[in-house]
Amino acid sequence: MPKILALVTDAFGGRGGIAQYNRDLLTALATTGSKVVIVPRHAPDVERPPVGIGQRPARFGRLAYSLSAIVEALRMKPEIVFCGHLYMAPLAWFAATLTGAKLVMQTHGIEAWHRPSRLRRWACEQAAMILSVSRYTRARVLDWAAIPPERAVVIPNTVADCFTPGDAAALHHEWALEGKKVLLTVGRMSASERYKGQDRVIEALPELITAGQDVVYVIAGEGDDRPRLEQLALEVGVSDRVRFVGALPLETLIEAYRMADLFVMPSTGEGFGIAFLEAMACGTPALGLDAAGARDALCDGKLGQAEVKQEFRSTLARMISTAGQDSQKLSGAVREHFGRERFASAVRSAMLRPVEV
Amino acid sequence: MCGINGIFAFHAAATLPTETELLATREHMRARGPDGAGVWWSEDRRIGFGHRRLSIIDLSERANQPMVSENGRFIVVFNGEIYNYPGLRAELERDGVKFRTTSDTEALLHLYAHDGEEMVHKLRGMFAFAILDQEKRGLFLARDPYGIKPLYTANDGWTFRFASQVKALLAGGQVSRDPEPAGVVGFHLFGNVPEPFTLYREIRALPAGHTQWVDEAGPREPKRFANLAAVFADGASHPAPANELPERLRAAALDSVRAHLLADVEVGVFLSAGIDSGALLGLMRDAGQEKIRAITLGFDEFAGTAEDEVPLAAEVARHYGAEHIIRRVGEREFKEDIPAIFEAMDQPSIDGVNTWFVSKAAREAGIKVALSGLGGDELLAGYPSFRDIPHWRRCYGTFASVPFLGRVTRTLAQALMPSLARRQPKALGMLEYADSWAGTYLLRRGLFLPHELPALLGSEMAHEGMRRLKFAHTISAQLAPDPGSDLTRVSVLESSNYMRNQLLRDADWAGMAHSLEIRVPLVDWKLTKTLAPSLATLVSGAGKAALGVTPSVPLPGTVRTRTKTGFAVPTGDWMTHATGSAHPSTKGQASREWSKLVLKGMITPPMVCVE
Repeated sequence: MPKILALVTDAFGGRGGIAQYNRDLLTALATTGSKVVIVPRHAPDVERPPVGIGQRPARFGRLAYSLSAIVEALRMKPEIVFCGHLYMAPLAWFAATLTGAKLVMQTHGIEAWHRPSRLRRWACEQAAMILSVSRYTRARVLDWAAIPPERAVVIPNTVADCFTPGDAAALHHEWALEGKKVLLTVGRMSASERYKGQDRVIEALPELITAGQDVVYVIAGEGDDRPRLEQLALEVGVSDRVRFVGALPLETLIEAYRMADLFVMPSTGEGFGIAFLEAMACGTPALGLDAAGARDALCDGKLGQAEVKQEFRSTLARMISTAGQDSQKLSGAVREHFGRERFASAVRSAMLRPVEV
Repeated sequence: MCGINGIFAFHAAATLPTETELLATREHMRARGPDGAGVWWSEDRRIGFGHRRLSIIDLSERANQPMVSENGRFIVVFNGEIYNYPGLRAELERDGVKFRTTSDTEALLHLYAHDGEEMVHKLRGMFAFAILDQEKRGLFLARDPYGIKPLYTANDGWTFRFASQVKALLAGGQVSRDPEPAGVVGFHLFGNVPEPFTLYREIRALPAGHTQWVDEAGPREPKRFANLAAVFADGASHPAPANELPERLRAAALDSVRAHLLADVEVGVFLSAGIDSGALLGLMRDAGQEKIRAITLGFDEFAGTAEDEVPLAAEVARHYGAEHIIRRVGEREFKEDIPAIFEAMDQPSIDGVNTWFVSKAAREAGIKVALSGLGGDELLAGYPSFRDIPHWRRCYGTFASVPFLGRVTRTLAQALMPSLARRQPKALGMLEYADSWAGTYLLRRGLFLPHELPALLGSEMAHEGMRRLKFAHTISAQLAPDPGSDLTRVSVLESSNYMRNQLLRDADWAGMAHSLEIRVPLVDWKLTKTLAPSLATLVSGAGKAALGVTPSVPLPGTVRTRTKTGFAVPTGDWMTHATGSAHPSTKGQASREWSKLVLKGMITPPMVCVE
């Protein structure tokens, strides 16, 4: 297996979806015997990487990071330079060229949906492979990158083993939600992005309540858009039905997924939408929009519901009023499509390709 | 000749393909194969094949497709003909292989089992096929060296699809229609869409002379197995004396025609007043075909004039004792057929109208297979481009390599002589483009020139399209290794661009729309390889002269000495009338107007902005 130098924003000790994806991907490679060295820009938490992976200290400054990456490349002489973010493409290309390695680029979501600067685009076009987390992101990459389409490969997110169906009575009790129909969204509330769709759900609540549903909408996550959403809830008269619970520790997050009757995230800007997978792996049905990467996480409607905007409210009403699914069956189906084994196998076969050529 | 299609949901998360989609794609190709239809699904329903059959060899139902090997491991769908299949069969039978049919399709199955992907080197013919290896869980696709038969693929990252036509893939309803700027720009540059691009970003042609492997990790990049420039370079490394050409051509052309007559149905021939088709007719006679029907297109406008090819074609038909079918066509019929032409045209093309009508005539006569002289000009240096391109490079190349000279000259001319600049854009382009083979070829074959595109398509589309098309890079790759002489260089360029993307593609859609298989004995890899040492020493004019005397009874002198016109036709005027524009002053301007109508007829805005 090839030696891999990973230039990433964050991986072990990092937070958020991209750090998780990097951890999953690099761990999958290390388990098959690849030597992996990670050079991260951030590592706010302390987390030890598994055997076979070395992680260098984080370097936040651009210059320090670039120097660190180049020194590591020269020392390691990798066969593959894995670039975890489009913004680092020129540096990754330089490190790869310097050492005769193949460049593998990773693209996630909105950062890759619009044409990047000429230099970044050029660097991407030199890559032996561009990985994307969804078909949508891949298609957007192929809009601006003049590369053979076979070099653009989709490796979707995977879901951690800890997300499983189970009892959530304690959290139900703690949050005093017994007897309520619980809708849940997990996601960042960013005033500059506003694509997750929490506002769309808040606006749909009065209709559900009028129809006799004793519904509560739980919003997990943090962000500077929260005041606007709180104000919106007030304006439509449902502030008592909306709970902002902030960022949740992992154990609570899992319980929240289990407790919800429906995971709903009518987002228009998901690169993939890992939260859909986590919710469904916990046995909770999911509803999203038939837009961008969410289609992939919902498996074109096979696992969850991917609805067009116009039909969102009626589908929400229908799903909240129907009886719950077989949670074990749903969880099993999620793992069958997006489980660790599938992911690891896809990563291995994709990453071997550049060195086979 | 047939229509093939398939779906492979290679990614674990991909939704299972539906029968509705498979059939919608297949049925869009109904005209390609009216004699039969088949479907095959893998046990897990992740892989499906569809096939529409035009029966030519082994007319029985045993030869229907998709065809499964006896042990169930391999499944094939195939479009085309393998002309050396009797020899391949004999070879395989010597190795103990048992055949169940007399079809060339079955030979493909056994050959793949025997030789794997190396099999393509043994095939002589026109072909596009897909073979599924159930044991390896992979799909092998291949397309013939010249790209006579089409094969298009689409990959969305989870599911791989293929079909014989772009429009068939779209008909399935699951392939994105997002535009491909390189395809749009390519059409405006050449009047055809240069492969591997199509008008749609997600759909690509498997390039001619390439194979591709697809497995559960997705499709790999296509691999080239045939290189025309390398064949010529090899020929140039041991050139044959010029006086050997006639004899070598006679033997090789007769061998090719004989191979192309392999069929269980009647084989006819398209006959013009030119050398290529006439020589084919003579060689058909030499190959032993007794009853020959030859079809000539006559135009009402030319009847009784010197431009009418019919009398000379009739002389050739009499000369070789062929039954002559003359089909007259007029402008009214052209106008009536325009909607059907656009419907059948798989990708936009500024040509193909003649092939449409001659194929229609063949169909009306009940002919299922016809030989065409297509390719003779590319192989034997019959076009003016063989003279012009090297000449222009020599005369203007040095000036064009001076930075900014061409652009400044053009800008000045546009300002000072706008009318000339409008009427003669290519003349102005000489100092800008003639510094490379790519640029000079563009001057010779171009519809619009790159600097005209921003005004036509918008600067964003024009710039992005040029960037993605990588035309200069493509031409350099086509000419590597160096074919060895100016004539063979131009031969490579004409064969790999104009012939492949325009003539052969037009022959496919126009023929298939009438369920007619058009065979091209002068576009034959074995023929080219045999002639390559002689082509290295070929002088202008000698090739076509030699072709005229290849039949044991040479073509009449009147045909051999006649100035080349090809199928001289009034379709340029018809196209002009159809566009409703004022009469253009040049043929080039007529083609430009027609190209706009073609795009309007084929695609819906706002993909491109047609003024």
